[in-house]
Amino acid sequence: MSEAAPAMTPATARRDRRLRLKAGGPPARILIALLLSILSAAALIAVSGHDPLSAFAAIAKGAAGSEHQIGASLNRSTPYLLAGVGVALCFRAGIINIGAEGQIAVGGAGAAAVALVLPGAPPLIAIVAALIGGALAGAAWAGVATAIHLGRRVHEVLATLLLNFVALLLVQQLLAGPLGQFGAGFLQSPLLPRSAWLPKLPGFDAHPGFLIAVAAAAALSFVLWRTPFGFALRVAGSSRLAAAYAGFSLQRLTWGAMLTAGALAGLAGGVEVLGVHRRLIEGFSLGFGFKAVTVALLGAMEPLAVVPAALFVGLLESGALAMQRQIGVPSALVTVIEGLTMLYVLAATVVRK
Amino acid sequence: MSALLEMRGIVRRFGDLCANDNIDLDVRPGEILGLLGENGSGKSTLMKVLFGMLSADAGSITFRGRPLVKHTPGEAMAAGIAMIHQHFMLIDAMTVTENVMLGWPEAGRILRVKEIASRVREASRRFGLDLDPDSPIASLPLGRRQRVEILKAILRNAELLILDEPTSNLAPAEVADLLMILRRLRDEAKGIVFITHKLPEVLEVCDNVVVLRVGRVAGRAAVAGASRGQLAEMMIGRDVSAPNDAGSTPPSGAVRLAAKDFFARGLSRLTVEIRGGEILGVAGVDGNGQIELVEALTGLRPTTGGELTLDGRDITQATVAARMKLGLAYMPADRGHTALVKDMSIAENLMLRDSRRPPYGRGPLLTKASGAAKARALMTDYDIRARDPDFRVARLSGGNQQKIVVARELDRQPAVLIAHQAAWGLDPGATRFVLDRMIALRNAGAAIIYVSSELEEVLHISDRIAVMAGGGFAGIASRSEVDARRLGLWMSGRAA
Repeated sequence: MSEAAPAMTPATARRDRRLRLKAGGPPARILIALLLSILSAAALIAVSGHDPLSAFAAIAKGAAGSEHQIGASLNRSTPYLLAGVGVALCFRAGIINIGAEGQIAVGGAGAAAVALVLPGAPPLIAIVAALIGGALAGAAWAGVATAIHLGRRVHEVLATLLLNFVALLLVQQLLAGPLGQFGAGFLQSPLLPRSAWLPKLPGFDAHPGFLIAVAAAAALSFVLWRTPFGFALRVAGSSRLAAAYAGFSLQRLTWGAMLTAGALAGLAGGVEVLGVHRRLIEGFSLGFGFKAVTVALLGAMEPLAVVPAALFVGLLESGALAMQRQIGVPSALVTVIEGLTMLYVLAATVVRK
Repeated sequence: MSALLEMRGIVRRFGDLCANDNIDLDVRPGEILGLLGENGSGKSTLMKVLFGMLSADAGSITFRGRPLVKHTPGEAMAAGIAMIHQHFMLIDAMTVTENVMLGWPEAGRILRVKEIASRVREASRRFGLDLDPDSPIASLPLGRRQRVEILKAILRNAELLILDEPTSNLAPAEVADLLMILRRLRDEAKGIVFITHKLPEVLEVCDNVVVLRVGRVAGRAAVAGASRGQLAEMMIGRDVSAPNDAGSTPPSGAVRLAAKDFFARGLSRLTVEIRGGEILGVAGVDGNGQIELVEALTGLRPTTGGELTLDGRDITQATVAARMKLGLAYMPADRGHTALVKDMSIAENLMLRDSRRPPYGRGPLLTKASGAAKARALMTDYDIRARDPDFRVARLSGGNQQKIVVARELDRQPAVLIAHQAAWGLDPGATRFVLDRMIALRNAGAAIIYVSSELEEVLHISDRIAVMAGGGFAGIASRSEVDARRLGLWMSGRAA
């Protein structure tokens, strides 16, 4: 609380608010939006000369037809959910954090690095240490963006977005150097020691990451609605002038939200590395951070609602390949469905005004 | 003469609340009709129904002999109804002419700037608006901006003008000009609905008044035969002629707030002391440093020099939160974005500045149950009318919104209160309520700075009066020593 309160005129606040996203609409609207996007997708499939119903059936079967497939879908949803709840927290506070993409990549590198330097540790310790390493790395990367944003007054969209590219190159550089596997012919790290692998959940072909992610969503929902810190975040998201008047430090709130989101994104990278690939691979998280933004908006920036949103996207994507294999509808269509869903959901939440 | 507007049996409900209950309203050409009523009495709802912003549940509207059914604001405008809102719908960066052309088909697909500018000049002369077509809106004082809105209505051939509390933001001289413009419009056979709380203006300019109370017509009168007391009584159902015990005894308490050579951006050096048990009224035309003063005192604006102490402690560089902890309460004038978070609930707004303190919070957690109980108690105590504490503030009337701010800041039992336009937009009953609460706080030993451009309020409540002009105090004197002439001189920036 040492910094001088920022002088903010109503005019700058108004300009600011236009950039800030509003909290989402009622669930009914979002369900209608989902329904519309499915109908639109059906039309597209029909136009491409296939039967929409059998295509959807193939997606459903591919996504959840067996324990193995359910596991794969849960694994797929996990990084979206972890990073998505963090993004949702930032959006709620009126901070447009588009940096999850880079924070996930750096988090994955952090987790892999810790796992590689602790080859002899007992399993539980190795896993926890590696995940903490991932979270810290993600938080640090978000911290860089926050420092640039607050210290140099660079808009947070630019600061977070541009650092994504730096993060991807940084991970590449690490794989070409200290973390890389010599002679692999591909930018990847050596296989991590077995003690750092995430175990499988009994009965499912899934790692426990999804459970961690659901716990994180529940925790953030609690923070948002049941603590003064969450209250302050929500006030800041609604009106910066009111937050300053209430005596909240906007700098501290921004640090809090950004570091939390960065840690969760880093954790998402760590879980992906330890649970799925068991090594750091170049581009292992390509697009995850932007999916996290999709999922946060789809979940109306409400941490608990991000859970079904992340599951929706995860199931859809893991069913897509099955659809392509079985009836020849290109899996890229799923990207179209995701895009349409976003459009409909945003339209549904903007109509509210 | 046949009516310009006939509204018959208008009913509009919001859930189980009946905001308009079978209201009839007539306006003749060349008539200024005063529409009076307390906050939440249904004036705004009725006008929104007329302008097509809300639909009526029952009733009919006839305008210039033609029925208006399920109309949109666009259709209302096309029919000749213009609404001049409290907050102007103008673009600051554009000139008067450009604002007039905005959204107006007659401006042409290829803009006929010169022609419109000459029409602006002509209408401005005819109605005494005194507007230069080429001045940017940002350079105009509020009174002139309002005339741009009136000009837009005239050029669009409006026959009926609705003015929603048009004088609430104006300096006294600007009010006089506005009333003169309204008379000219009346002489041109326009109909005018003048929504206001201020009885002197009604007496001065209106032909007839309609008073609404809880959604019904409580009375109609021709102004020529009515007195101020009668109208006020009709409005809130009791007499409000105000006794004034201010300034009778000199404050005896210790100095609570002291500023020495204090200044910030937009202010000149100020030195002033306020004692416990004293209300310092700060009058002056808006825009003479009032916002800068209250923001610097409360910590929202960095102090650039001098010294500020609260109960002897130096708070010159203290944060907003630290000042609050030492007992500094603040009611900002900007209700919409600063004092309240409109898309949050009443309960959340009541705890806006106290969420870490009981009964709203303890340690790192919010205590929802005790917070809601507290909110309920404050709603009863301060007469905030809503179903429950979870009600969204945006859906409350302006008066009820302000009562939330008042309840929150007074309930903390502050050592020093800074109130800026605390009774702005309130009806006489609610204004009285707010002022009484502040006088009670003063009598309990607090020091109060009451900043308002309403001279009448300042005179009513203050023990001492300061006048701001050009970012500093043009003069300061005890209540018993000031008179209208001296205040007027100070307001115009001349030190006496």
